[in-house]
Amino acid sequence: MSALQKSLHSDEKYKAGKLGQALQKIGVGIAVVCLGFSLVYTLLSDPEPARVAGHFDPATNVGDRWSRFLHAYVIGWSYIFSICVGVFFLVLLHHLSRGRWATAVRRIAEAMSMAFPIVFASGLVFVIALLAGYKDLYYWAHPDAALCLEPAAGAACHEFLHPTLVHKLGWLSPGFFAVRYVIYAVAYTGMAAYFIKKSREQDESGDPQLSEKLRIASAPAMIVYSLVTCFAAFDILMSLAPQWYSTIYGVNFWGSACVGGFAALALMVLGIQRTGRLTHSINPEHYHDIGKWMFAFTFFWAYTAFSQFMLQWYGNLPEETVWYKYRLFGEWQWVSIAMLVGFFAFPFVFLMSRWTKRIVPSLVFFAVWQLVFHWLDLYWNAMPSYDWHVAHHGAATMVAGPLSGSTAYHHVGFSPVDISVWFGLIGVLLVGFGRNLKGNLIPVKDPTLGLSLAHENL
Amino acid sequence: MTDHTHDPVGPGHDDDGHAIRHDGRLYGVLAEYDTPGELIEAARKVRDAGFTEFDCYSPFPVHGIDEAMGIKRTILPVLIFGGGFAGTCGGLLLQWWCNAYSWPWNISGKPTWSIPANIPIAFETTILLAVFTSFFGMWILNKLPQVWHPFFRNERFNHVTDDAFLLGIEARDRRFDAEATPKLLTDAGAIGVENVYLDPDPASRQMPKWIAAFIVASTAFALIPFAIAAKARTSHSAEPHMHIFPDMDFQPKYKSDQAMDLFADGRENRGELAGTIARGSLNADDLFYRGLDRSDSGGAWTTKFPAQLDVNEQLVKRGKNRYEIYCAPCHGFDGRGAGAIPQRVAATGGVWLARNLVDASNPVAIHMPNGQLFNTISNGYNTMMGYAAQIPHADRWAIVLYVRALQRSQNASLEDVPPDHRSGMQMPEAPTP
Amino acid sequence: MSTTDATVASHHADAGKAREAFRSVTRDVAWIAEAPKPHKLWLAVLAVALVMFGIGLYCIYVLVTTGIGVWGNSNTVDWAWDITNFVWWIGIGHAGTLISAVLYLTRQTWRVSINRSAEAMTIFAVMCAGLFPLLHTGRPWFAWWMIPHPNDMQMWPQFRSPLMWDVFAVTTYMLTSILFWYMGMVPDLATFRDRWAAKGDKLRAIIYGTLSLGWRGSARQWHRYERAYLILAGLATPLVFSVHSVVSFDFATSQLPGWHTTIFPPYFVAGAIFSGFAMVFTLLIPARHLFNLKHIIKDEHVEAACKIMLGTGMMVGLAYATEFFIAWYSGNLFEGFTFINRAFGPFWWAYFLMVGCNVLVPQAFWFKKVRRTPVAIFFLCILINVGMWFERFVIIATSLARSFLPAQWSEYSPTRYDIGLFIGTLGLFFTLFLLFFRYAPVIAISEVKGAMPEAHAGKKH
Repeated sequence: MSALQKSLHSDEKYKAGKLGQALQKIGVGIAVVCLGFSLVYTLLSDPEPARVAGHFDPATNVGDRWSRFLHAYVIGWSYIFSICVGVFFLVLLHHLSRGRWATAVRRIAEAMSMAFPIVFASGLVFVIALLAGYKDLYYWAHPDAALCLEPAAGAACHEFLHPTLVHKLGWLSPGFFAVRYVIYAVAYTGMAAYFIKKSREQDESGDPQLSEKLRIASAPAMIVYSLVTCFAAFDILMSLAPQWYSTIYGVNFWGSACVGGFAALALMVLGIQRTGRLTHSINPEHYHDIGKWMFAFTFFWAYTAFSQFMLQWYGNLPEETVWYKYRLFGEWQWVSIAMLVGFFAFPFVFLMSRWTKRIVPSLVFFAVWQLVFHWLDLYWNAMPSYDWHVAHHGAATMVAGPLSGSTAYHHVGFSPVDISVWFGLIGVLLVGFGRNLKGNLIPVKDPTLGLSLAHENL
Repeated sequence: MTDHTHDPVGPGHDDDGHAIRHDGRLYGVLAEYDTPGELIEAARKVRDAGFTEFDCYSPFPVHGIDEAMGIKRTILPVLIFGGGFAGTCGGLLLQWWCNAYSWPWNISGKPTWSIPANIPIAFETTILLAVFTSFFGMWILNKLPQVWHPFFRNERFNHVTDDAFLLGIEARDRRFDAEATPKLLTDAGAIGVENVYLDPDPASRQMPKWIAAFIVASTAFALIPFAIAAKARTSHSAEPHMHIFPDMDFQPKYKSDQAMDLFADGRENRGELAGTIARGSLNADDLFYRGLDRSDSGGAWTTKFPAQLDVNEQLVKRGKNRYEIYCAPCHGFDGRGAGAIPQRVAATGGVWLARNLVDASNPVAIHMPNGQLFNTISNGYNTMMGYAAQIPHADRWAIVLYVRALQRSQNASLEDVPPDHRSGMQMPEAPTP
Repeated sequence: MSTTDATVASHHADAGKAREAFRSVTRDVAWIAEAPKPHKLWLAVLAVALVMFGIGLYCIYVLVTTGIGVWGNSNTVDWAWDITNFVWWIGIGHAGTLISAVLYLTRQTWRVSINRSAEAMTIFAVMCAGLFPLLHTGRPWFAWWMIPHPNDMQMWPQFRSPLMWDVFAVTTYMLTSILFWYMGMVPDLATFRDRWAAKGDKLRAIIYGTLSLGWRGSARQWHRYERAYLILAGLATPLVFSVHSVVSFDFATSQLPGWHTTIFPPYFVAGAIFSGFAMVFTLLIPARHLFNLKHIIKDEHVEAACKIMLGTGMMVGLAYATEFFIAWYSGNLFEGFTFINRAFGPFWWAYFLMVGCNVLVPQAFWFKKVRRTPVAIFFLCILINVGMWFERFVIIATSLARSFLPAQWSEYSPTRYDIGLFIGTLGLFFTLFLLFFRYAPVIAISEVKGAMPEAHAGKKH
């Protein structure tokens, strides 16, 4: 480890200039085109697959097209949310551990984390839909979920619904869900804003006390961050299958989020350098370290995902294995295999070597690869819950929700909306990034900048 | 110890402070530098001058020296990757072979090759093999252990592990020159340059005999337990097992047929109490249990079947099933007494008689009443043992029924066959004389 | 090339100061092994440790010759002190690998003052841990059957069992720790060799010389050595995660409420690091004081360790909170009961000790005053280890004593042999550690030198 320091190169371009606006324009363009396409496609789509999947208006028995759109939206939203979560982790960890190598890229990470407000604003689409009474997204918001509360429910309830759903309908209600959503929004935005604000202050004054303040703040921030991330994962993703549970779910989500976050950071850094900025300050040593974190979190994600899978497989309790059974047989088994090989095995083996992390085309390839597979991870987590079971009792029908009854699979299939909504939300994320890429792109007066610029790997 | 750090080029001193004899062959030259930085610069100069047989010595790895010396990156990481991969394959193969191929067991319904359950061990074997490759590979590539090196004779060298930074060039390098090389080193900033000579006594370069003897002896001793184990596994012993921890091997209780001095007859086995019958063993029905018909006085063998049994096809089938298990080995599947056992005995030159139960030429079994057949099955006859212990009463009656069916079938005429089954049948031709 | 004599002289003086700094590191560590008589306190503590170990040996003798019945285990509480101790000791061992490997990978150079002792502590802790699974089998002389070997019964181990995974994980961990520790010691053993050779002690020079494999500080050898060290650190990191995860699988693969929960692997790993660091500093705070090592094991290093303990303690707390929340969320009656029972059932006192020591005690480390008071840290570390022992005890005993059917409920209390064996392992651990401290290089001398600013003396920028 070198204790040498370097100073900022005299010719270095570190001002964002018009970069932020340009990125916002690109983001808006992508969002408008893709989300527009999604809306049009959904309006013109056949409602029958949705009806078969259990999403329909009980009065008219016509399928609800918007359910697919909203499921894809929740997945896409979780994707952009998780990238911000992953990138923000670097900011917090860097301050907490008095890190040195990352100072050169930290401002970019801080700017990316400040996309939280836009991300949470875009999430209002499904939050407000829930508050307005939309019933075909989260099963706990569906009137049939509360059937067991009715005294006359009797056999229908217990045959298809676990009574374990009923007791948590207070927690999993649109109102309380929205309240928690606001709490998450305030917490993340508040923390990200604090860290970038103080960091930008330091650009003016160069005051080393600000670094101390940030270091001290990073510890309680880490605690709040951990709690909020776990509960956000429970609320937004795990509750799509409200009768299932896993204590490691939040940690698994966070692991996947960090893979995506570091991959996104790599692409952002390299993209900024392509515009001629920061070309002297950020070098293969930094790429190597970002790559190392991608590698480490790829492994960590695999570890948490395997823990969850193997323990629920081994214990073989039906209320737990039903979630995996849906994903490991039938049409989802290929996605599961793709995850194992694509999200873990292939990048793990190849990111072991120094060179894949230091050479730009290789790092770009693996960053894009992991960003795609991170989305696939969230898709695999969430989309099977789109398939709802409908039970018939004589003349009455009852929507029993996901993973219930005999787990009769329907062909959930694949819809272009899944991809277009995803891309559209990436556009929204780029708008969020672009809004904060202003001023200095590197913390020019940070006391550890010199060490970061001179950083060397073994 | 006198400080030799600033001596001019000279013969060097050994650990006791004596000047080393230099009538031995020159091994090389050692130069000491003050700081790591200077060592790096000197190394660069030496390498630029074309030397290859040289090395730098320091108490800790000096960063930047690899590049100055032109050290190529080691192949060790590739070997370690290979070792890890071998570990993964080995771990999976081990578990598959033992639990899914060699002796598959059903453990709580899990598949015999349970990949999720095999991952933890496969992971550990990966790490273990990779670690072994890393550790042993590194020492082997470094050619260590090498407990002696000629430079150890030099007193300055003793400080390498403390605070000294040395550069050594071996005399066998093509570019080595006895005058120019030390000058190059001094010009690079050395605070001392010394020649190092090999000890003229070649015996000092060989391993002492006692160490070799120790290694051989300890290896031989280490093999003794394995030899004992090998002998135990391949030989027989009349000795009983050793009980190192007796636990519950010798229990203070009596086992069946043991001697016991509490009773006059010395036996542990007490037998039945006189005048009693065990519950369920009354077996009052003479016909069913003994084949005796008490209806006429005298108790002759019954010619009927017991009332408890329905004489139907099902009973015949049961009798066939039981006959083929218990009787066919001697009496044969056709009842003619040429079963597998008599055939085997005949093949070895002996004689084993099993009665022909079916042929008219052998009328004993044909004329035997049902009850007597039953009694023969239960209690045996001559060399035939009784099967009462193996075959429950009802099954014995089923066998009797089957024997009767066999007898009927082997002595039948065309008239015995129902009319609608006769068409495809022919009587066998009488053999031509 | 030097120009004036003055420049040369001042350069020599600077270099001389740097070299003196290196020599003082060597002296400050080597004197412990070279002191003709050991410290009186060292002898006293060793005597106590040997007595404790003796008690343990007696308990092992009774256990092996009589049977598991001498323990307090009952029909349903069939794991108690034995497995609690096993998990506790393995957890303690994790700090060594973390300090050696993970802090190396994250370039925390302050690790060099404590890594050698921490690695030694790991090995001794794993030795103590390994006794328990071996002894709790009841017939430990059959333990060799757990290693697959050809035999005429085609009897193979049941690899699908987490208990077999434990065998492989703990063995791998033991071997890796020993190899990593030994590899790190070789350059320092060479330092000892050269010091004894210079003093003229031929016997000790030969012993240390053999152990150091003839190490001579060659740059070509350092190159491969560094590469192997980095890769071993990279291998040891997932290993340390996997070992305690595999230990957690012993519980989590069951269906018992309170045991079957997916967060166990990372939760156990965080807890292991937590208790491991506490044990490292329980040992090193008195040691650095008694052996004058405060300028190498600096106050800042102790402070950094306090922060790590605070962080891992919070992770453990987060796991407690998550388990509690999901126990309610799941709607599983048995799971919910288990958690109520932990706080209000027969072992409520153990539960509150656990929460107090693991969640509340480390909160003291928020305060810089506490982080800089070694005596306070020493006692807090002991409390943390007590809390972590009770955590494993609570997990094991409460779930077993109050499982699904009330007909299965039973009581548990330990016997003198349970306690005696535990004391014995403490005795073994301290004995080995004290011996290590006296005879081996307790601080990674070469690594400390490499991390000093003087290591870059004379370099051009």
